[in-house]
Amino acid sequence: MTNLEIGLTSFPVLLLMIFLRIPIGLSMFLVGLGGLYMVTGGTNMALAKLKTETYSTFSSYSLSIVPMFILMGHFATLGGMSQALFKAAEAFLGHRRGGVAMASVGACAGFGSICGSSLATAATMSQVALPELRRYGYSGGFSTATLAAGGTLGILIPPSVILVIYAILTEQNIAKLFLAAFVPGILAAIGYMITISIYVRMHPDSAGVRPAMPMAERFRALAEVWPVLLVFLAVVGGIYAGVFTPTEGAAVGAFGTGLIAFLNGGLTKDTLLGSFTATAKNTAMIFFIVLGAGFYNGFLALTQVPQELSNYVVGLGYSPWAILAIILALYLVFGCLMDSLSMILLTIPIFFPIISTLDFGLTMEEAAIWFGIIVLIVVEVGLITPPVGMNLFVINSMDRLTPMVETYKAVMYFVASDIVRVVILVAFPGITLFLLRIFH
Amino acid sequence: MHRFMMGLARAMAMVGGVVLTALIVITCVSVLGRTLNTMLHSGLSEALLGGFAKTLLDTGIGPILGDFELVEAGIAFTIFAFLPLCQITGGHASVDIFTSRFPVRVNRFITLVGEVLFALVLALIAWRLNAGMQSKMLYGETTFLLQFPIWWAYAASFASACVAAFVSVYVAIMRLGEFVTNRELIVQEGAEH
Repeated sequence: MTNLEIGLTSFPVLLLMIFLRIPIGLSMFLVGLGGLYMVTGGTNMALAKLKTETYSTFSSYSLSIVPMFILMGHFATLGGMSQALFKAAEAFLGHRRGGVAMASVGACAGFGSICGSSLATAATMSQVALPELRRYGYSGGFSTATLAAGGTLGILIPPSVILVIYAILTEQNIAKLFLAAFVPGILAAIGYMITISIYVRMHPDSAGVRPAMPMAERFRALAEVWPVLLVFLAVVGGIYAGVFTPTEGAAVGAFGTGLIAFLNGGLTKDTLLGSFTATAKNTAMIFFIVLGAGFYNGFLALTQVPQELSNYVVGLGYSPWAILAIILALYLVFGCLMDSLSMILLTIPIFFPIISTLDFGLTMEEAAIWFGIIVLIVVEVGLITPPVGMNLFVINSMDRLTPMVETYKAVMYFVASDIVRVVILVAFPGITLFLLRIFH
Repeated sequence: MHRFMMGLARAMAMVGGVVLTALIVITCVSVLGRTLNTMLHSGLSEALLGGFAKTLLDTGIGPILGDFELVEAGIAFTIFAFLPLCQITGGHASVDIFTSRFPVRVNRFITLVGEVLFALVLALIAWRLNAGMQSKMLYGETTFLLQFPIWWAYAASFASACVAAFVSVYVAIMRLGEFVTNRELIVQEGAEH
């Protein structure tokens, strides 16, 4: 077999292992190792690589952001910030038709600005918002669908763990990616609110009504969210203004949310240990995938598959937009099967070289950032797409009374809203890039 | 037995959590020190504080030397220390939408294969980490700023990696027991993302 053939054969082998429920990181690690053995014709190279690569992956300064952001998310939950955000959003929006659902989306967006993970945002906000939604007569499936969709804002609105990984993979600037994610994130929240307002008009009995709150009370509720704003401005603002590196920003954010949680009495010995356990599980899982992907991609690069594939695709002479559409469609399908992080680590080394040789009328850096944001949105759509979207399971398990089918039916409206947004962002790269262009 | 292994994995996670917290604090102190240092060097502080600014600077207010070297060494240990808990709780991400249609027995077999492979891989990683440590010792490599031997950091990671491999072997044996007896011995928790 030539190297190229070995590289190409590794795809079906890897997919088979993953679909047979072998952990994704482990599958990539093993296929990478086996491939390296076949390409170099011996174990020497693989063993030599293992001597330092595990340590250097785990000791990466840029990757140390990941556990810090994860811990920060847990502290934010303990600090009662999800509660304060929901109350404030609810005070302003709650009396509208579908208003409590809109408030849930708004609060998810707010929580996303201090939390870098989608499932964590969905799970945290559900604890606060689900009981309230049910209390005001919102139907079960509509409530769970709203929160599952709202959760995806957690990953899109910076800080975002996946954008950090994307930035490292493609050697882009983390601060610029965070800035570019901001407008699409806000658009997503607005899109979901419009979706809610359409849904309640089509299904009038799916939502109750509630009297409006007096203005004074609204602003009192709003005043409670200042810690969220402070942490967001310090972390994202600080990183962007160049006051500190992204890793330092994550440390400051984790420290700040920890302090707020402590002052609010949310951080006790028990909850601190609980945060450590949860952080440990998530972090170990993420780093093992990163390690496996590192091995697999190292092997692929040796076989020159990414380069040859890119040459081949570009040589076909199709329009760049058609190729982009095919890639995004693939992401949409696979996003339903796999978690976003594994998706990104598995596919970016293959697709990114293709995208960076195509001409979209953008500079290299702009195209890389724009593509990253769109891919992130598309894989997140997978998280809420029936029948396997992971957010749907998490939220549905928190509301035992609602059958899964009800969630499926309602969430399709949000999926439609996502797809409309992706089409708009693809057609007009300027929407994603204009903040970047202004500040540079 | 299970209680002991679970306790071990949890204890490692706690130690990792404490080290992570320490790294966060070190980084914050360093950022604070650097910010103060910049402010004290500015013209404004000279006008306001006069000679006192100089006195403060002489006490050594500034960023912590080599803070990122500490973060790199510490975070590697932390990640290795987090691994045992992820192993014993079955926390690794996998795709189960196809296999969920398979019979229970087949699924137990798949789980067994996965855990055995994991145990082998973690043992391999620990073994190679040790080899890496040996060569760092041999060449006496040190970090750039703090000048501490790099093998120290390798040694800490190696210790955690051994525990991870040990716990993983235990999990693999339990999965073998589950496959043979066809009943659940370790309660599996879902992965969180």
